[in-house]
Amino acid sequence: MHDLTQEKLADELGVTRQTILAIEKGKYYPSLDLAFKIARFFGVTIEDVFIDEDAESRKKL
Amino acid sequence: MKQNTFYLLAGIVGLAEVGIFWLSVEHHSPLLIVVSIIAGIALLYWARSKVTDRKEDERTALISQKSALRTLEVFWVVFFAISLGGAVIGLGAPGFPRPPRPPNEGLIPLGNLGFFQMLLLCLMIFLYVGFKIYYARQLGEWESDEEQD
Repeated sequence: MHDLTQEKLADELGVTRQTILAIEKGKYYPSLDLAFKIARFFGVTIEDVFIDEDAESRKKL
Repeated sequence: MKQNTFYLLAGIVGLAEVGIFWLSVEHHSPLLIVVSIIAGIALLYWARSKVTDRKEDERTALISQKSALRTLEVFWVVFFAISLGGAVIGLGAPGFPRPPRPPNEGLIPLGNLGFFQMLLLCLMIFLYVGFKIYYARQLGEWESDEEQD
């Protein structure tokens, strides 16, 4: 997608590449500010990038 | 300033502090080491603010915050417990609240207190480093994937 490396994305968002990797692996939940930046960067909404696991599990019940 | 230049400077300051400590002991001048430690740390803080290729973000800040908080939590319990032990010794001293001063021992052996404080400081440093490693690992500091260099 976007022919983008983690390094480039990290530079664009002003964070370290390790932070991007930690978010991808679910080891770190970004702040709302960073989540908005990521969504804005890809031109999508936050819900398209991040999943609210609680809401998803409630839907299944 | 590059990150590696900062590390080099930190090494030089560290070695200088060891030398000044020795000088301070030789000349029986505690003020020398006190002033030089404060000056050295101030210099390192200033140098760190000049590093241009250091990358910090919210995740690394969170790692530092969490480890500092945990260190403080453990440290105050240990310090409180030890201080209470000291208070018990003080309260149990003969002639409390003001024990009679022995005729030939005018001063409290402050050297022992210094070693004890150094021990507590070392404990704090070890705790901080340990917690930092723990939280760094928890927050994906050493994760790798196919994009790894």
